Amino acid sequence: MSGNTEEAARLALLGKWATRVLIAMGAVLVVLEFVVHRHGEIAAEDFPLFPAVYAFVVCILIVVGGIYLRKIAMRGEDYYDAE
Amino acid sequence: MLSDLLISMPPGFMMMLAALPIMALPHHARQVAMLVAIGASAFSLTAGAGDHWIVSLMGFELILYRADHLSLPFAIVFHIAATLNVFYGWHEKRATDHVAGIAYAGAAIAALHAGDLVTLFIWWEATAVTSVFLILASGTQRARRAAMRYLIVQVLSGVLLLSGAAMLFSQTGTLEFAAMELGSIGTWMVFIAFGFKAAFPLLNGWLQDAYPEATVVGTVILSAFTTKLAIYALARGFAGTDLLIVIGCLMTAFPVFFAVIENDMRRVLAYSLNNQLGFMVVAIGIGTELAINGAVAHAFAHIIYKGLLFMSMGAVLYRVGTVKASELGGLYRSMPWTTVFCIVGAMSISAFPLFSGFAAKSLIMSALGYKGLVAAYLVLLAASAGVLHHSGIKIPYFAFFGHDGGHKVKEAPFGMLLAMGLASVLCIGIGSLPGLFYSILPYSLDYNPYDASHVVGQLQLLIFSILAFTFLMTFKFYPPELKSTVLNTDWLYRRVAPVIGRPVLAGVMAVWRSFVVALAGYRDMVLDTVEKVMHAPIAGPTVPGKAVMIQTMLLAIILAVGYLVAG
Repeated sequence: MSGNTEEAARLALLGKWATRVLIAMGAVLVVLEFVVHRHGEIAAEDFPLFPAVYAFVVCILIVVGGIYLRKIAMRGEDYYDAE
Repeated sequence: MLSDLLISMPPGFMMMLAALPIMALPHHARQVAMLVAIGASAFSLTAGAGDHWIVSLMGFELILYRADHLSLPFAIVFHIAATLNVFYGWHEKRATDHVAGIAYAGAAIAALHAGDLVTLFIWWEATAVTSVFLILASGTQRARRAAMRYLIVQVLSGVLLLSGAAMLFSQTGTLEFAAMELGSIGTWMVFIAFGFKAAFPLLNGWLQDAYPEATVVGTVILSAFTTKLAIYALARGFAGTDLLIVIGCLMTAFPVFFAVIENDMRRVLAYSLNNQLGFMVVAIGIGTELAINGAVAHAFAHIIYKGLLFMSMGAVLYRVGTVKASELGGLYRSMPWTTVFCIVGAMSISAFPLFSGFAAKSLIMSALGYKGLVAAYLVLLAASAGVLHHSGIKIPYFAFFGHDGGHKVKEAPFGMLLAMGLASVLCIGIGSLPGLFYSILPYSLDYNPYDASHVVGQLQLLIFSILAFTFLMTFKFYPPELKSTVLNTDWLYRRVAPVIGRPVLAGVMAVWRSFVVALAGYRDMVLDTVEKVMHAPIAGPTVPGKAVMIQTMLLAIILAVGYLVAG
C-alpha cells in the first residue's frame, strides 16, 4: 500500500511542477505578445492575446459540451452487448 | 532485367503477391520477406510520372499504373507506414495480422495508382476484404460483429463507386479517374462512396466502431490506409468543391466532444482521426494549390503521428491488457520509452512548432486565411485547440500520468519501440526541416511556417489550451473517466435500423412464405395430373397413358431436330 501512496505522491509532485512550468510558459508568451509584432491570417487574430484567450475559452466550452453530450449519448459499458 | 520487371508492375502488386507465400514462412523470415516486398513495391515508384500500364479489356481501357505529382506523396507515406508496421508487429508470431496487413497496404497503394474508376473500384474493395481480417483476428464475438458491420459499410462504399462509375461512363464515355463536378447522380454516388471511406459526418460510425476492436497491430495498420486513400480520391476527384469545406468543418468539430468523454483510448484516437480528416477535407474543398499541398502534407504527417499514437496505445494494450482511461495511469515509470514516443506523437498532432503537425497544418490555415474564409478558419482554430485537448493531453495524461493505475508492467517489445522511435524521428524531422518535406508535395511552394509571429501565436493557442485543462483538473471540473459506451452514428444501424427493419423483414417474410406455400400447391396439382395421365388408359385398355406420353416426347424431339437441320 505504501508503494501506491508513494507513487501517488510522486505523480502529484510531477503535476505540481508541470503546472508551474506551464504557468511560466504562459507568462513568457504574454510578455512576447508585446515584444513580437504578432499578426494572424484573419483580422480578428490581431487582437492582443487572441489565440490565448480563444484557446482557453474554447477548451472550457469543449469540456462543457462533453458534459452535456454525456447526458444525451452516454450508456452503460455493456449497452451493445445484448445484440 | 529484374529491375525492368519491377518497374513495370504497379506499386503495391509485389506486396499483394507476397501476402500468401509469407504465410508458409517461419516468423522472422516472414517479417524480412515483408520488408523485401515493400522495398520491391517502392522500387516501382522509380518509373516516374506517367501512364505505365494500360490494359484493354472488353472494350474498356483500364489504367493499372498511373503516377503523378498527387499520387507520389501518398505512395511514399503508404510505403513508410507499411514498413513501420512490419517493425511494430515483429513480436506477433501469428501470421494473420501480417498476411492481412501486407495485402491491405498493397491494395491501398495499388489503388493510389489506378487511372480509371474500375481499377480504383477493384482495389477499393480489396482494401475492404483484406483489412477486415485485422479486426476478425481479435477473435472475440464483439470483434466479429464489428468486423461484419465494417465490411458491410466498406462494400457498400464500393458498390456506390462502381454504380457511379457505370453512370458516368454511360454519360461521358470514359472511365478515367479525373476531376469531377458534383451534379449528376453518377458523380454524387462516387462522392458518397468516397465520403464513406473518408468518414464524413453520419457516414463515420464504422470508423469508431471497428478500429478499436482490431488487434494490437491491426489497429495501427488500419489507421494508415483506408481513410487516407479516400482523402487522395477526394483530392483527385473533387478538389475545389465548396461543399467539402462545410463537411470538413463538421468533421473537425463534432468528434472533439465525443473524444473528450470516450473512455477507450483507441476509440478516442479514432475520433481524433476523424477530426484530422476534417482538416484535410476542408483543404480539398478550398482547392487552391496551397490548400491541396496542405491536404497532402497533413495526410502525410498525420499517417505517421496518428500511427505513432495508435502504436503507443497498442503497446499499452499489449502490456497492460486494457486501454480504458478509467483503469490506466502512472505508466510512465514502467514504460518510459513508450511515454516519450507517445508525447512526441501528441506534440505532433497538436502542431507544436518543430513537430510535423505544425509544418502541415500551417499550410491549411494559411490557405483558409488567404481565401478569407473567416468562419471556417475559426472552426478549425477551435478544432486545433480541441485536438490538443483530447489527443495531445488526454492520451498521454490518462495513460502515463494522471492517477496511479497500479499496473507494474514491462516496457514494450523492441520491435514496437523501434517502430515508435522511427516514427518519432520522422515527426520531428518533418517539423524541423519543412523545406525538404514541402519539396515532395504536388505543387512547388514558397512557404515558411517559422516566422516569429506565427510561432508565438501557435504557442499561445497550445499553452493556454493546456492551462485550461490544468485549470479544469485542479478545480475538479473535468469530467471523470467513466466506464461507458458513447453513442455514435453507428447507433443508427445498430439500434434504430433493427427496430424499423424487423417489422419490415417480418412482413416480407410473411409474403414470401405465402408465395412459397401457393407455389407448392400448384406444383402438387401438376404432379398429380401427370401421375394420373401416366397410369390411366387413354385409348381403351391396350394403350396406356405412359405410351402416349413417350410417343409425344419422341415426336417433339424429331420435330426439334428436323427444325434445326432444316433451319
